Amino acid sequence: MALVDPPVREPLDLTRARLSTRRRLADRAATAVISLAFVVALVPLVAVVGYVVTRGSGIMSWEFLTSDIPRQYRVDGGGMYPAIVGTLLTTGLAALMAIPLGVLGAIYLNELGRQNRTARAIRFLADVMTGVPSIVMGLFVYTIWVLRFERQSAFAGALALACLMLPIVIRSTEEMLRLVPDELRQGSLALGSHRWRTITSVVLPTALSGIISGAMLAIARAAGETAPLVFTVGLVYSPSWSLSDSSTALSAQIFRNASQPFAGAQDRAFGAALTLIVLVFAFTALSRFVASRLAIKS
Amino acid sequence: MRKTKTAWLSLFLVLGLIAAACGDDDSAEANDDGTDTTAAADDDGGGSDSLSGTLEGSGASFPDAFYQAAIVAYEEATPGVTVIYNAVGSGQGKSDFADGLTAWAGTDSLVKEDEGLDPDEFLYIPTVAAPITVSYNLSGVDELQLSPDTLGAIFNGDITSWDDEAIAADNPDVELPSTAITLAVRADGSGTTSNFTKYLEKATGTWTLGSGDTIEWPSNAQAGQRNTGVAQIIQDTDGAIGYVDLADAEALGLTYAAIGNQEGEFVVPTLEGTTAALDGAEIADDLTYDPLDAAGAEAYPIAAPTYVLVRTSYEDQATADLVIDWITFLLTDAQDLAEDELYAPLPDSLRDRALAQLDQITVG
Amino acid sequence: MTTLTPITIAERPDLTIRARGSRLDAAFRGLALAAGLVVLAVLALIAYSTVDAALPALRAAGLEFVTSDRWAPNAPDGPHLGSLAFVYGTAVVSSIALVLAVPVSVGIALFATEIAPRRLRRWITTAVDLLAAIPSVVYGLWGIAVLAPNITGVYGWMHRTFGDLPVVGALFGPASSGRSFMTAGIVLAIMIVPIITSITREVLVTVPRGEKEAALALGATRWEMIRGAVLPHSFGGMVGATMLGLGRAMGETIAVALVIGSRPQIVANLFATGDAMPAVIVNQFGESSGTFRSALIALGVFLLVLTIVVNVLGRVIVNRVQVRFRGAA
Repeated sequence: MALVDPPVREPLDLTRARLSTRRRLADRAATAVISLAFVVALVPLVAVVGYVVTRGSGIMSWEFLTSDIPRQYRVDGGGMYPAIVGTLLTTGLAALMAIPLGVLGAIYLNELGRQNRTARAIRFLADVMTGVPSIVMGLFVYTIWVLRFERQSAFAGALALACLMLPIVIRSTEEMLRLVPDELRQGSLALGSHRWRTITSVVLPTALSGIISGAMLAIARAAGETAPLVFTVGLVYSPSWSLSDSSTALSAQIFRNASQPFAGAQDRAFGAALTLIVLVFAFTALSRFVASRLAIKS
Repeated sequence: MRKTKTAWLSLFLVLGLIAAACGDDDSAEANDDGTDTTAAADDDGGGSDSLSGTLEGSGASFPDAFYQAAIVAYEEATPGVTVIYNAVGSGQGKSDFADGLTAWAGTDSLVKEDEGLDPDEFLYIPTVAAPITVSYNLSGVDELQLSPDTLGAIFNGDITSWDDEAIAADNPDVELPSTAITLAVRADGSGTTSNFTKYLEKATGTWTLGSGDTIEWPSNAQAGQRNTGVAQIIQDTDGAIGYVDLADAEALGLTYAAIGNQEGEFVVPTLEGTTAALDGAEIADDLTYDPLDAAGAEAYPIAAPTYVLVRTSYEDQATADLVIDWITFLLTDAQDLAEDELYAPLPDSLRDRALAQLDQITVG
Repeated sequence: MTTLTPITIAERPDLTIRARGSRLDAAFRGLALAAGLVVLAVLALIAYSTVDAALPALRAAGLEFVTSDRWAPNAPDGPHLGSLAFVYGTAVVSSIALVLAVPVSVGIALFATEIAPRRLRRWITTAVDLLAAIPSVVYGLWGIAVLAPNITGVYGWMHRTFGDLPVVGALFGPASSGRSFMTAGIVLAIMIVPIITSITREVLVTVPRGEKEAALALGATRWEMIRGAVLPHSFGGMVGATMLGLGRAMGETIAVALVIGSRPQIVANLFATGDAMPAVIVNQFGESSGTFRSALIALGVFLLVLTIVVNVLGRVIVNRVQVRFRGAA
């Protein structure tokens, strides 16, 4: 049988020039619109951060960071030291409560319970809990704690923040634990380790950077929360380190001062906003650094 | 192994911290009236050296400027004592007081039945009085006169633009633009609202929306938190008109209107006008009084009282002492500060009666 | 050299955990389980205490709570507790936020995955993360101090330009001040862009490379490839991302409370002042007592249920799409 040469055809011209104008224009237009979306998103970022930085640095000084909050809204000057103390105190305590609980809970979900009924229920409810509006958390702690003890306190605020942080920590820790290769666990178990030993000396160290990074993001989020603190934390004008006394926080102070018409109050609000943003950004940046530097080498 | 030990250790640390915090709260429960006191008290009035602790109060934003100035002076005279006043509005002030979160409350309006307080659980202590200004923002208009009926109709929503004939009738020499009226009112429960609307009820035939801490305002109203929130709305909105205490209006340079009083005179809100209104007011047994729409050619018609609420009985001696000391200061030395802050001090007779009220406070 | 003695199968040491027994294991498991159950406990407590506190108002107001738009808890003729105006406000503000945020977010996600040069992609993720990290109260502060006072001019222009159109003209009524549904919607939109963007990005990344390359090989332009291969795959995921953004928008309290104007009313005009569920709770809770407070908590419960439903639905949709395509990739 004779071999037949395949029919020869001109190679397809797939260059851009051969496209119909309509298709070419559509592609250009779409690219432009999509790129525009990116620019549009940058505008508020620059506008908000830029304005806060500019206005906030106008009042920022060492004195601002260490002075008490003035009694009267209308005066100029003063500082936000009590608010910084309050934010550190409430957020720190909330972290101390939520992070160990969250990590342990995630360990149960990913290592011990896996897909059993309880674990699935907890996983689902943790998801539900991330959706609880922060104002409801605040109302909840107000009703069961503040009213019961008849005082507003830093601890009550920390409790509300911890309730907000817990589901976030559980979910992010579970994600990190899931990334640990199963071979590591199996190897450890095969060598005769007990399960708790495997978890604490093999799984946790491997996932540690991711867990820390997730925890820091949760802390950053809690530091910025206002609604849970409005009814639980009270008000002070001088720094208070006591857990059982009233306190204040940067976010709460921003909220109070935002609706004040006096220039002094607005300046202090922006100073507090700048301080808060720096704090939150620092934690966010640190968390990404930890995640990338100490990540699981796969 | 080491890592496990660390894990257990940190867990115990956390639990310990929580226990400690709870322990703190339990011991503080003894002083659950919003105070945190340690030393014993001295029995003379304002400015004793052996008092110490924190006294928490909240409430009306109307007298806030005065109370804060008084607190600064008091803390200087009584080192060791910290007084906190959170100006959240009369409504929340009464509510916090009823919940036991504060030891004293500021309110411009009287306590109603459903606010959780028994009449024999607390005392009214009048402290100062001040005019409620009707401040506005209208470009090109620096002086405005408003008769009671016009005022009532504006806030009732019946007059919706500045060039309405009723306003023009009150102001024959002024060129009024056709800007729409925006009412600046309170979003939070406010004694200032209560007093302002009580005045409208009393003095005008055009007001139909009742009186109280909260009102269902017409649709052209915009609400802000506290007196300063209302002031902010007025400042930001052309065509806005609202009710603000004198101290805040002056601090922000707002323009306010002269209001027609009972004699038909248009009076600007001043301390003299307020004192004139106070002079004629009748004082009830519980020391509440009503200087609104007072008679007299010099009286400013919207002069409002403000009170402090204290308990008739505190759970511990130290709290009671602190409260008595602070309120005595407020009624004596602090009255000299009132005029500087643009508040009218109490007439002597009323002040003496207020001081006598404090004797009724018991412990137990 | 030691001699190795062979052992029989029967003699081998039993390395199973059961045999060696570990009380520590059981204790650890118990501890971890307890920690997980804290979530359950807290949620149950929240549900119980809030519903319990909300019941008096629901009993007093009855059906009026969900059918009336009149909210006057201190009215002289008895409390009127109709929540419709707040539900309307939340719905309007969230809708505005979605309409503004979704196109922008999808655009950013597409830009980051398809169009941007590789080096730029990390910066885009950083920018989006930074936007997400800004606390909501700072957005509220910016909204009330910068946006609200300066945007009335824009609203006025839009009112003059679009106000006379049939049907939609009612949306663009007169604007007396910067505090309105629209301003709150804009601030919310800025806040939810990061969450919608990051989830959409995750979804876009799971589109199988082969399909994209196939489309390009057939001569499609990049836009046609996106339209034909990427978007259909990701549509479900984008719906899920939108729902999660919606959940966030509905629950946002502080930023909305500062710029919405606090006057509950049901009007079509987007430039009018209004009120929303979480905003009224934070504004009026402190002074409330008795039935009034109970009513605010009932609003909170209502909001809680709505946001949970939206969030769970969104997450379910996203998970389903992810699983489907992670397997295929």
